[in-house]
Amino acid sequence: MTTPPNEGTSFDNRPSEGPPGDRSEGTVSSMEPRRLGWKIERRPHSSRAWEAGALLLALFAAFIVSSLLILSAGADIGESLRALVRGAFGSQNAIVETLVQSTPLIFTGLAVTVAFRGRIWNIGAEGQFFAGTMAAFWVATQFENLPPIVLIALVVFVGSVAGAFWGGIAGFLKARYGANEIIVTVMLNFVIMLILSFLLSDAWQDPNSFFYQTALMPESSFLPRLLGKGRLHLGFVLSILTAIFVYVLLWRTVLGYEIRAIGINPTAAGYKGISVATLTIIVLAISGAIAGLGGASELAGLHHRLRLDISTGYGFTGIIIALLGRLHPLGVVLASIFFGALVNGSLAMQISTGVPVALVQAIQGVTLIFLLTAEVMTRYRIRRVGADV
Amino acid sequence: MTEPSLSETHTAAEPLLRIENVTKQFPQVLANDSISLTIQKGEIHCLLGENGAGKSTLAEMLYGVHQPDAGAIYYKGQPVKLSSPRDAIDLGIGMVHQHFVLVPPLSVVENIVVGTESVGPLLDLGQASRKLEALCAEYGVELDLQAKIWHLSVGQQQWVEILKALYVGVDLLILDEPTAVLTPQEADKLFAIIRKMRADGLSIIFITHKLKEVMAVSDRVSVLRKGQLVSTVNTTDMTREDLACMMVGREVVFQIEKDELTPGPVLLEISDLRAQDDRGHEALCGLSLEVREGEILGLAGVSGNGQRALFDVLTGARKATAGRVLLEGKDITNRSPRSIARRGVASVPEDRIHQGLIMDFGVDENLILGLQRESPFSKAGFLNRTAIGSFSRELIDSYEIMTPSATQVTKVLSGGNLQKVIMARELSQQPKCLIVNQPTRGLDVGATEYVRRRLLEQRDRGAAILLTSEDLDEIFNLATRIAVIFKGEIVGIFDAEEATIEEVGLLMAGGRE
Repeated sequence: MTTPPNEGTSFDNRPSEGPPGDRSEGTVSSMEPRRLGWKIERRPHSSRAWEAGALLLALFAAFIVSSLLILSAGADIGESLRALVRGAFGSQNAIVETLVQSTPLIFTGLAVTVAFRGRIWNIGAEGQFFAGTMAAFWVATQFENLPPIVLIALVVFVGSVAGAFWGGIAGFLKARYGANEIIVTVMLNFVIMLILSFLLSDAWQDPNSFFYQTALMPESSFLPRLLGKGRLHLGFVLSILTAIFVYVLLWRTVLGYEIRAIGINPTAAGYKGISVATLTIIVLAISGAIAGLGGASELAGLHHRLRLDISTGYGFTGIIIALLGRLHPLGVVLASIFFGALVNGSLAMQISTGVPVALVQAIQGVTLIFLLTAEVMTRYRIRRVGADV
Repeated sequence: MTEPSLSETHTAAEPLLRIENVTKQFPQVLANDSISLTIQKGEIHCLLGENGAGKSTLAEMLYGVHQPDAGAIYYKGQPVKLSSPRDAIDLGIGMVHQHFVLVPPLSVVENIVVGTESVGPLLDLGQASRKLEALCAEYGVELDLQAKIWHLSVGQQQWVEILKALYVGVDLLILDEPTAVLTPQEADKLFAIIRKMRADGLSIIFITHKLKEVMAVSDRVSVLRKGQLVSTVNTTDMTREDLACMMVGREVVFQIEKDELTPGPVLLEISDLRAQDDRGHEALCGLSLEVREGEILGLAGVSGNGQRALFDVLTGARKATAGRVLLEGKDITNRSPRSIARRGVASVPEDRIHQGLIMDFGVDENLILGLQRESPFSKAGFLNRTAIGSFSRELIDSYEIMTPSATQVTKVLSGGNLQKVIMARELSQQPKCLIVNQPTRGLDVGATEYVRRRLLEQRDRGAAILLTSEDLDEIFNLATRIAVIFKGEIVGIFDAEEATIEEVGLLMAGGRE
């Protein structure tokens, strides 16, 4: 889906593996050997209509397979699907809850988008999200006597800074020592989660609970709810503002121009004076800040206490969201809402028809596979080599 | 399809290959429009045409990569249907692509044997080696058969591809722009080898857009223009000018008029420069050079003698380990690319696609690459799209860049237009000094003429130009003075008037004495 990073140029601090870059270039070929008589090739041009068609086809295929799964569980298809849609969009409450589910995904999806646009593989949005929650929790308990508006601003700000720091570590190690950011960001996920689980079993553990969780954070640090009822909180507004921020950053600022430039061709960017090393740190810091902001928003807006399961893999789902959203903020928001709806709707389906949890997850997985297939097929096609056209 | 009787019935009168009214339509272009031609046994047949004329498409149909929409292909008198390269190989048609299909970590023998031998699960590399050694000896190719591909130079990798075809045993070999990656010396050697193949009765289709090669090597030439066959002619009946006219469709000027001009004071001064290449080997070993205002200093040399490192050091992309670079007397050694550019040094890199452009960017975005932080293109960190738009429309106009719009994604442009984008960007800032590497490599005749004219314009304006090229004609055509680089040092400097190709060629090959 994305091309591997260009290695072995003087601007790229990534260590080159295998033979030196400029020699191997001559042998890399677009003419792959064709053994099976089939060939996957890039489509010369894909139209909007074709993209929309592929999307509908994917949803239809997902619908068919999901129906079969529901049938196999002995539930009624019509009723199950009605429950799914009703659960996701059937009432104001359902819609609100869908948006609640999609809020953290918008943040992590945007975080991944910024990094991937610069072709920096940040797999650590999960860890940066946790860094954001931890810093937010700490600052809220330290300064609980501040006026709410100040404290909330502080919580959100410190959460982003912590995420930026956690992402920036990986950026620094890559820029300075050429450490592969995939490995570093993945490892930093473990590091932060182990630190958190230590704190939850020790200094931060709620004295009144057997669970590994903190006490509630002070109420003055709660993000305000947006509607009279329902759990939708200020974090959703922040996520939309962040999407706008990312759009402006990438396409309206010099920094975004340079991020996109190194993402496409770090060598040419380097020749024209763009510092890939510096940008790597900046990009991972921005990406981390967005994920960290997501963590702070989720903690202060929804859960109000810190637990290890405050993220159900949002950082990783964010990668899928970013790719599904074509690394575009609007796409990310739409993909997140779709995902939120699926999660939310399938919970309703489970409650009203008794379809088991595992099946609900299988349905989500199937939908995802078809969507990703459609996404790939709009850009590539399989052709029978030698067949008459 | 290939009965043994065929080779018996095959007579001199009958061509090895005959194609009739072959047409190929791609989604947006008619790549080949009803083309008919014949290939005789034992001839070298050039397919000549500008980029996009349909040469490669035609060749790929003969190799089974594409299938014609209409028309017929006859091989040894029989109609054949080539639905994959496998079919072509089985018939004895081989092809060497512009980009090689080799596995870098494997040895030469392994690369040749894998994919060609299909008997049993075990490879008999020993026997293959002996057969290949015999082939190498026969054709006078020096190649270490046990060497890994990635150790080989590009020229040597091409021998491997050709050996692969000879090893399988072909009657017809298609070479797609084989000299694009070769030095002049390697190209001469290639010509010798294909003449030897011709003497052995093989037929060769040689695809090129270089007239010199057509004249040097071919028996007959078929000129293609915009998907149509202009004509097939005997090479000896033609002059370079005739062929160029057929190919471009208008008269082409080869010797560009250059006004005599007295160069001004020294602008760029390089003294005792040392630098390493990507592998940590010494690439520049104490190179000294001066370029004056209003002159083109032509730097001749076989590629791999430090030209790339010199370009990188001068543009700030690589650190010099010793020595100095002075611009107007001020030290710019090891400054950042941006700082050097801001002092008035512009550059045109040898590899347009990898070093010069962001291919997925719009043309407008590429036209300000490196200028994005300057006024009026941005203010307080925000891009000024209006200023970028009017700037790029102006450049597209004045530099005759053929693009549907300013925001068009760059990668769809032709090679010549890609180079125009780079030239427009670099020249738009009225540079004092211009570092140019291989500016016309891979360009067609029209685009080459364009680039050379622009360089002379800059010289006349008073810019100091360092022009590195492997094309000696280009250097002799444009340069005021000629310097020769060999193993990271300057081994000779001449006034262009007094230099001879022989002298320069000898120095390029390392004959200092």
